[in-house]
Order: sequence, then structure tokens, then C-alpha cells
Amino acid sequence: MIKKLLAFVLFASTVTLVGCNTPTENVDTINDQGKAVMQLDYRDFDRAASEMVQSMIESGTFKKEGGGRYVVAKGRIVNDTMQHIDTDQLMGKVEQELTRSGLVAMTAAVGADNTPKDSLVYSSRDLTRDSDKADEFNKDTVQAKGQLIAPELSISGKIIQRNIRYDNGKQQVEYYFQLQMNNLTNGLVFWQNEIVLGKRGSDKKVPW
Amino acid sequence: MRLALNTLLLGVVVCLCGCQQEDKRINMAADVKSDNLLVNIVTKPVIYAFSWIIGEGVEIDRAVTYVNKDGFLQLDIAGHNRAFNTIVYEYKVEWLDKDGIVVDTATSKWLQTSAAARAPFAIKAVAPRTTAVDFRMNTRKIPN
Repeated sequence: MIKKLLAFVLFASTVTLVGCNTPTENVDTINDQGKAVMQLDYRDFDRAASEMVQSMIESGTFKKEGGGRYVVAKGRIVNDTMQHIDTDQLMGKVEQELTRSGLVAMTAAVGADNTPKDSLVYSSRDLTRDSDKADEFNKDTVQAKGQLIAPELSISGKIIQRNIRYDNGKQQVEYYFQLQMNNLTNGLVFWQNEIVLGKRGSDKKVPW
Repeated sequence: MRLALNTLLLGVVVCLCGCQQEDKRINMAADVKSDNLLVNIVTKPVIYAFSWIIGEGVEIDRAVTYVNKDGFLQLDIAGHNRAFNTIVYEYKVEWLDKDGIVVDTATSKWLQTSAAARAPFAIKAVAPRTTAVDFRMNTRKIPN
């Protein structure tokens, strides 16, 4: 009898312990039902990027007169938040959609400091034209001089965070996504937009 | 007799003022505009409760699509909130090509919007591809 009881208790404890473990599950990124979080998560970047791209397209300023696409260089996106954000989380989506819209072409040859550029644009030229291995390359396939297209526009911006403490143990965190497209020929701002995402919750939650 | 006449006159004036045609372009919230004989401190709780019981919510009045000057399909939705509270919800617009296939775009995401109590609202969206010729839209409550 005692043996049976002991076995039952052991079984029940095992079931309870296993039941307490939160199983890992994949996030449904298409129809995510997860609760909002104080920090910026992928849904916030999705929303900001979606609204930015739609604003750009709706503005009608990116249709180049005489056809063709504007060539756009990546400017600096400043992360002025308390979080370690790779600003490409935002810019990757924006650039992808703008490029696929057919309105602009991004250049991988020119960009602000610390922005991802393709170093092969230059190093492949160095290797195939000027190095001691240059003879190994078919001269007809080597990039000729004067082929790179200079950018006409640059995209830059800033992500700002503001924390506001409320009464009754609440806080509000405001995130400002600011983007602008500048005309590199004359320095004028071609397009500009700001999207504000606000989150309100317990001040015990840490927004970084 | 004179008192009764004055009261009647006052009643008629109040009624007429209450029935005054309002400019439909301006939506005055229930707790901002003046009360009248039909909507006042006594009847409001009953009206609110009735609205809640019958489940009044957001309704779409019209959805218009047009191709803008750059060749992108644009969507303008107009609707109104019948409820007596602000309704916050999410919507997702998906764009369809001429074959009815969903156009793969990173802009088709759940986006948050809200409709103020008893007020009209508008949603605007633009397809990021010139191949889009139609749309479909889903809505959902904000996940709790």
C-alpha cells in the first residue's frame, strides 16, 4: 500500500514538475497574438517601416521625371534609445520595400560611416585591375572605370526614446521614428516623416 | 395660466434647440456637447447600456480604391464607430495582383488604429507595387 502511494506521489511530482516548465514555442510572426512589451520588438519595427514606406509612396515625390529610379545612399540612423538596436532592423525593411516598389535603387558603393556597404565594390576592382593577380582575370569581365552611379538622394534618421513616469506606479515610454530623404544635389529635404509609438505600463518593467 | 404658458414656451424652445440640425462634419462627443431631452444625465446610462448589450461597434461605410498618379493602388476607407467608447483595433491590408494572388510585401502587417466613440474614422493605405489591382483587409482586437 505504502509502495503504491509512494509511486503515485513520485508520478504526481514528476507530472507537476514537467508541467511547470514553460515549453519553447515558435512565434507566429504573421498573426502574433503576443502581448505588447515596453521595449521595441519586431512588431514595432514592422509597423514603423510599413507606415514609413506607405508615406513615401503616397507622397508622390519619388517618381523621377523622365523615368528611371533615384539612386539612394544610406545615411546615418542614430539610435538615441536606451536599447541596443541595430537600426538596420528598421532600414532593412524600408530599403527592401522601396527598392521592390521600383521607385529607387539603393547604392552599395556609397554610404555614411558605419552604414553597411559592400566592400567588394572596391576590393574587387583593386584585385582585378591593380593587384598582382590582375593578369588572372579576363579583361573583358573586369569593371571599367567610371561605371559607378553616384547617389542622388540619401536616407537618414533617428530613433528617440522618452520615458515619462506617471502616478500610481505607471510609466509611459515614447519611441519616435524619424526618417528623412535628402537631395544630395541641393541639400534640400525631399521627404520627411515621424512615427510615434507609445507604450504605457507598470514602472517595474524596464524599457531597455 | 401665465406660468403654464411660459413653461410650455420654454419646453418648445428646448425641444427646438435639441432638434437643431447639426453640421455633420463636426462630431461633438456626448460628454462635450449639451444634453437635450433625449440624451441627458438620466437617459445616457440606459443608452450606453443598451448599446453595449446589442454589441455596437465599428462599421465600414465605404472603401474606395484608385490608382494614384505614380501608378500605385491606393485605398481609402471611411467608417464610423457606433459604440459609446473608443475602440482600438488592428487591421491588415493585403494587396492582390490581377490573378488574385497576394502580393508579397513587408507593408502588409497588423497596424493599430482606433475609432473614437460615436465618431467617423478613416484608414488609408497604399500598395507598394504597381502590380496590385485589388485588396483584402482583416481586422482583429488588440491581443490582451
